[in-house]
Amino acid sequence: MANDEGVIYEYVWIVIVSAIVAGMAASLAYYGIALDLNPACNATPIDVGTLTENFQPGVKQLGPGIYQVNILAGQFFWNPNKIVLEDPVRIEFRITSKDVVHGFEIVGTNVNVMVIPGYVAEFVWEPPKNAEGKYLIICHEYCGVGHQFMQAELEIKRTNTLLSGDSIGTTDDLGKFSEVKYLEFKGVIVDEG
Amino acid sequence: MRVNEELFAKITIAFSFVIMAVGGTFGLLQALNRVPFLSLPGALEVSDSTYYRILTCHGVCLAVAIPIYWITGLAAFISPRILKVELDKRLLALSLAMMLVGGVMATIVILAGKANVLYTFYAPMTAHPGFYWGAALLILGSWVFIAAFVKQYLQWRRLNPGVGTPIAIYGLLATFIVWIEATTPLVITVLKDFIPMSMFGKHVDVLETRTWFWFFGHALVYFWLLPVVAMWYYLIPKKLGVPLFSESMAKVAFILFILASTPVGLHHQFTDPGLAAEYKFMHTILTLIVATPSMLTGFNILATMERGGRARGGNGLLGWLAKQPWKDPVYLGLVTSMIIFGIGGITGIINASYQLNMVVHNTAWVPGHFHMTVGNMVVIGYTAITYALLADLFKRKLISKTAAYSHILLWSIGLFIFSLAYYYVGLHGAPRRTSNIEYGGLLPSTWILPMEISAIGAILMFSGGVAAVYAVLGSLLFGKTKGVAIEGMKIGNPHPETTEFNPLLENLKMWVIFAAVLIIVAYIFPFYEIFSRGISPVPPVETGLS
Ligand code: HEM
Ligand SMILES: [Cu+2]
Ligand SMILES: [Cu+2]
Repeated sequence: MANDEGVIYEYVWIVIVSAIVAGMAASLAYYGIALDLNPACNATPIDVGTLTENFQPGVKQLGPGIYQVNILAGQFFWNPNKIVLEDPVRIEFRITSKDVVHGFEIVGTNVNVMVIPGYVAEFVWEPPKNAEGKYLIICHEYCGVGHQFMQAELEIKRTNTLLSGDSIGTTDDLGKFSEVKYLEFKGVIVDEG
Repeated sequence: MRVNEELFAKITIAFSFVIMAVGGTFGLLQALNRVPFLSLPGALEVSDSTYYRILTCHGVCLAVAIPIYWITGLAAFISPRILKVELDKRLLALSLAMMLVGGVMATIVILAGKANVLYTFYAPMTAHPGFYWGAALLILGSWVFIAAFVKQYLQWRRLNPGVGTPIAIYGLLATFIVWIEATTPLVITVLKDFIPMSMFGKHVDVLETRTWFWFFGHALVYFWLLPVVAMWYYLIPKKLGVPLFSESMAKVAFILFILASTPVGLHHQFTDPGLAAEYKFMHTILTLIVATPSMLTGFNILATMERGGRARGGNGLLGWLAKQPWKDPVYLGLVTSMIIFGIGGITGIINASYQLNMVVHNTAWVPGHFHMTVGNMVVIGYTAITYALLADLFKRKLISKTAAYSHILLWSIGLFIFSLAYYYVGLHGAPRRTSNIEYGGLLPSTWILPMEISAIGAILMFSGGVAAVYAVLGSLLFGKTKGVAIEGMKIGNPHPETTEFNPLLENLKMWVIFAAVLIIVAYIFPFYEIFSRGISPVPPVETGLS
């Protein structure tokens, strides 16, 4: 043990450190539980051997401002590599890989999800109301020697016919990003019709 | 050839610096080549496939090979001196052979371009089997060394009942316990998944192998750091001529490292789909807990420095700071590594903060963070400690104090420039592990200037690395047995104060059992999730193009 004069400082410091740690833990829990801000956690297994039949890349409108975007990643491409959405409020992404691990990132937002072969990553992005124009999509996980070529584009168009003055959507600069597990659709593969 | 402790330490430590020269050169090439729109002279420009080849080598050599060699060398050298018990010579010889053969084999495969998989080698990308066998041999070789170390410790314990473990040995024991915690899952997945995948085309579940990898990956981080922490506790009081402020707090810190450094791996998988938020959050909390021993260490060392500075006549609120032996490169290096590590560690808390991770995951922020932590510990911490070993181990005087000072100064300044630039572009979304971030001109303009500045930082870091390698290898090759001596640092008996016996703190067996329980609790749920959902194996894939 330290010399007697030191011991008291030691205990004071331990209390301070514990308080810092508890404070950080509490704030993360608050954001996670109360504001429902969590990283992407949902995935559905898929057989890579039968991807062509079971997974159709593309954009589908599910309702006003609500889109489902299916993306297939592979060495070294995103399919589709150009996505145009009008007045999106809620985008349901389903992304998988036909070969190795890739990383889905929309630059300038907090959309950041690993794409793991054998699993379809499912998550929802509610873009901020001021999101407009072209966004760069990149692959942020090394996936082979052509990794730096993987890019795509997301264009958000605003027609303002739909939602002006509406309270849907968040004002958060980066948009709100949450797991899909709070949604209705959970089927393994949604039939594209 | 008879391998005794000194020969073992000489070979492993000298070899670490040869590797540092190679890995550091690759680091500079990477940093230059990934600056957007920068045209480099032909000799410095590398193709994309070469980029990933050298990046694999950079990661494996600097972050895996150097720590293993250098730490075992340090332990082989100082533990018999402190404990006055010898290490088992046959185990030493076996360990040295395995580690050298394994490391050289993996490096050759990488440099031959047969393993462009980076040091994380995520499945289902495959490398030549020699890569996995080499890595396995290197790690198993380190286990053999640990067997010798533990045997020596137990022998000492029998001879010295009721004596507290000297702090340096306590810290090294913690280091090796953490290393066993870390490498067990790695060995499991390499033997079960990766070798069969690369040799026989076995299909593996990628989420499962990633989870095994990061089960290893975070504890690896503490393996890098703990020997330096142990040497802060051991050498700083020695240099100041005062006892450590609180030896029991130091031991408590090591116990916390043993307990909490492994059950936290999911903080590297926050963005992995297929792992539930609850488990990710549990690992977040455990990660915050593992930040506490670092904070305890900072307090303990600073209090020791204050005590030493006052004993040397420093008065007032900050006068003790001026009275530190700053002119001693060993001391300067130890304290510098602690300051930089503190800053890097704080950015690590950001990475670990669950939601915030989405903003920085896999961006250039991450290399910004780990060059301030592990890069700093290796280049400033390990190297400064090596300066302290030169006289005793190699019977050489430091060839040039100027080289040692410039090493610490250039590397630190360069590192700040490099890392701050990487933090900045990372926050703006620039990816890591990418040979070219121009994206056909579509990159955000905010990336360009900081990336250019980062290259200046990298050049300074490289110069600091050259000075470090020159100071160490130059002293070995050309250093005199007499000459500029580093202020008397003799490795030998610990302070008498450091031998107090506290049964709770000395009962490492109990703490290891607690650690195992905690690890099982932390990992049983994610693995249950993966297996109960049904795994989804995929075939191996080449890295392409090369
Ligand atoms: C001359 C000094 C150094 C320079 C200029 C340098 C530069 C770099 C750069 C630019 C990257 C990022 C490459 C990319 O993401 O595409 C990188 C990655 C890395 N560096 Fe360094 N580095 C240096 C020293 C070190 C040291 C001393 C260590 C550790 C002891 C280290 C460990 C790593 C690791 C683990 C990676 C990650 C590799 C990966 O993502 O697979 N570096 N380095
Ligand atoms: Cu990629
Ligand atoms: Cu970690």
